[in-house]
Amino acid sequence: MSLFDKFELLAQSRRALASDGPPPVATPFDRVLSATRGVINGQEVLLAGTNNYLGLTFHPEVIEKAKAALDELGSGTTGSRMANGSYASHDALEKELAGAFGWPSAMVFSTGYQANVGVMSSVVGQGETLLIDADSHASIYDGCRMSKAQTLTFRHNDPENLDRKLERLGEDAKKTLVVVEGLYSMLGDQPPLQEFVDVKNKHGAWLLVDEAHSFGVFGDKGLGLTEAMGLLDEVDFVVGTFSKSLAGIGGFCVSPHAELELLRLASRPYIFTASPSPAIIAGTRQALSLVLSGQHLRQQLKRNMDRLYEGARAAGFELGSEQPGPVAALILPNRETALDHWHQLLDQGVYANLMIPPATPNGLCLLRLSLSAAHTDADIDHILSALQGIRQQHTNQVAEA
Amino acid sequence: MGDIQDQVNEAITQALVATAPDRVGLDRDMPLSTAAGLDSVQIMNLVMEIEDTLDISVPVDVLADTHTLNELAQELTKMVQSKAGGTSV
Repeated sequence: MSLFDKFELLAQSRRALASDGPPPVATPFDRVLSATRGVINGQEVLLAGTNNYLGLTFHPEVIEKAKAALDELGSGTTGSRMANGSYASHDALEKELAGAFGWPSAMVFSTGYQANVGVMSSVVGQGETLLIDADSHASIYDGCRMSKAQTLTFRHNDPENLDRKLERLGEDAKKTLVVVEGLYSMLGDQPPLQEFVDVKNKHGAWLLVDEAHSFGVFGDKGLGLTEAMGLLDEVDFVVGTFSKSLAGIGGFCVSPHAELELLRLASRPYIFTASPSPAIIAGTRQALSLVLSGQHLRQQLKRNMDRLYEGARAAGFELGSEQPGPVAALILPNRETALDHWHQLLDQGVYANLMIPPATPNGLCLLRLSLSAAHTDADIDHILSALQGIRQQHTNQVAEA
Repeated sequence: MGDIQDQVNEAITQALVATAPDRVGLDRDMPLSTAAGLDSVQIMNLVMEIEDTLDISVPVDVLADTHTLNELAQELTKMVQSKAGGTSV
């Protein structure tokens, strides 16, 4: 009898993925050379499996600001925002985030995961309800688990199902926070945000949009799907991360309600953790400024997305989303095919993400490609040519068998 | 009481047919995640089907606390009873 016995199923799943080459899960990188190039197992590869949507991780201005902060303010704050970890730069970043949305309040968290957990566990409490999309990210589920509110789910991207759930809550709908994401990272699909807004307004519920994957990508200023849909006046909270388009690590919540400030006294994941290091904050501030004025980056990213979606479909792949987005999830028939595609793509110098159950919705096996504004036309050509080759080879194998 | 139990058991059967047809005849006292072979996503889809049929909303923590379909059936029965204004158990 061991405390580790319960992990046997996980151990089995890991063994099933074992192979001679690099592991497809937690793939070790020898080095990362740029926003779009890395070295895996001694081989230089094109990175098409990061969340580096605007390609800012190596931007000279971001690096320069981060280095300067390291020299001037030291390597870490060694304390919580509640104690000694609130520097002028943390405060400045919060003002800049709030200013970008035109709202009175923003809070910075040490990771995106903590932003969701920290907001949901404190904003919604005993006697209130969290009503979340069933395909929500683990950080949303964990925020619910930590909250004393009851948690209900509605069917993924289904406003009608949300309507029914709110209807059943009756008057309690007014004490309910509905949670959706601006872009779902597994299938790369987007929510029908206008319909969700109409439903929550009908019942007087509150709305939080997690723009982790959509911040920087959508909207004229890059604020996310909410901005792109012209719905900034209709939401109560936007949560986001620094570790995707903003090229650092950390998270944030912005709100048109000035009372968000009170969470600084109530949110345990905000209070009981060290604040982000000064270098991270300085790099993020510079990245934020580049994101807000980054229309050209979004144009290049959109061009890349449109080309990849069109090319992958033309090659015969089924994609997880109708609408092109920065994530293109190729739906494959089973685990073996997905694994095989992952290895073949790597052999051809392209790193993507293998996504398999239980991490995926509806037991799907996916090969997930994510794009960056730093990808060139030639990079997209390379990815598409690799995909076409793999598809052709696989079709031939199936025909022979 | 008996009627509600029958209604709940029938809703579970219908939901299995819709979401995991190969598991319809499974032993409802088996632990869901291991012996019954349903993963967390299948269990969630199953419950969403049941919610539609019974016109109730099942909190996520009810799922975390139930380990077999029969345990789930007991919880659902209580929820349907309380919706119908029946006496609580």
